[in-house]
Amino acid sequence: MTATDWATAVLMPLGALFALTGTIGMVRFPTLLGRMHASTKPDTVALVLILAGAAFQLPDLRSALPLALVAVFQFMTMPVLAQTLGRVAYSRGMVVSEHLVTDELADDLAKREAEEGRAAEDPRRAEAP
Amino acid sequence: MSAYRAPALRLLGRLPTVLWLTVMWAVLWGDFSPGTLVAGAMVGAGCYAAAKLPHLPVRLRFRPLRVAGLVGHIALDLLLSSVHMAYHTLLHPARVRGAIVAVPLRTDSDLLMAMVSAGLSLVTGSQTIELDREGGVIYVHGIPIHDESDVPKLRRSVLRTEEMYVRAFGTRDDIAQFEAAERELAGAGAAAEEER
Amino acid sequence: MNVLDYAMAATAAMLSVSAGLALYRLVRGPSVLDRTVSLSTVSVLLVSFIGLEIAYRGDTAYIGVMVSIALLGFIATLTAARFAERRAHDRD
Repeated sequence: MTATDWATAVLMPLGALFALTGTIGMVRFPTLLGRMHASTKPDTVALVLILAGAAFQLPDLRSALPLALVAVFQFMTMPVLAQTLGRVAYSRGMVVSEHLVTDELADDLAKREAEEGRAAEDPRRAEAP
Repeated sequence: MSAYRAPALRLLGRLPTVLWLTVMWAVLWGDFSPGTLVAGAMVGAGCYAAAKLPHLPVRLRFRPLRVAGLVGHIALDLLLSSVHMAYHTLLHPARVRGAIVAVPLRTDSDLLMAMVSAGLSLVTGSQTIELDREGGVIYVHGIPIHDESDVPKLRRSVLRTEEMYVRAFGTRDDIAQFEAAERELAGAGAAAEEER
Repeated sequence: MNVLDYAMAATAAMLSVSAGLALYRLVRGPSVLDRTVSLSTVSVLLVSFIGLEIAYRGDTAYIGVMVSIALLGFIATLTAARFAERRAHDRD
């Protein structure tokens, strides 16, 4: 057991633990947004820790570079996914208001619709398709 | 802005993207020899031309110290809030509630707004739902929020994130504009907070 | 077996359980978006598995597979989300 082996032995199970709690959250959270919060971001932490652990097992820095590339990809794509999913979830009316303390987007949307002279319709339809 | 219309400058503006594609190509091949780099630059430029991406003038400054601080902040935030989230996941997920807050942003730069929005979606426990470009308002969903007293905390953390991004990447004009807007909002913000 | 082998075995076990839970959510739904979220989780877990494989073998033969899965997972998730959005608009 060298120092690099110890680094891997610590980093990889730690990363897997984050992945495990994230997916447990995905199963246990009652709301869609809760599931998204619980899984997408801890997954990223898990992936980065596991990649770091794997990098310690490689002979030199150059062969570890592609691993860094994958981590950078993950950091670039994850916010895009989270944002798209969040927007779609909200526009499909799948954000349940009873799990929200405040919802200022709904307030503003209602205000805007009232200003435009249309019938103030609740943007969050209760029955999600 | 008109300076960016000049063809030579426009070409220069595209250079970073092609450079980034070339580096990716070389990393994927695991080889940094001149032949690979030339081939990568050609493929990158070809893809870029074929994709016909809209060309946005990139007006950013890069302050290494501030960026390092920002990266450190994000890394720590990501780790700590993931642990926090794991704790809530294991103990009582059904009781965890969130909140959507409307935060008026102080910066007016499109690029900085996009970066702030992505940065908020990056860390655990906050996520952009909608970005109102005309009003400059960002709608952020935060979790876990236990009661009304946590809502200002979320609002403050959004504003702090914005400030860090503006100070790390904004041009001098962006920062000046940001500070002017902040002074303007400081008075109005206190009143709005009271109202809410 | 030394500590590193145990650590890798534990990692593999936890990732497997995670993948099982993610697949449970993929099957259960209840909505398209829940399935989309679990799809992105499954793709991240696959990439993590390949990371484990790379650590186990100590060489990067599978790096191409890893990059492809990472990109495909991203594109698939984004497409699914956009599809869900468009379908919601059609219904209105």
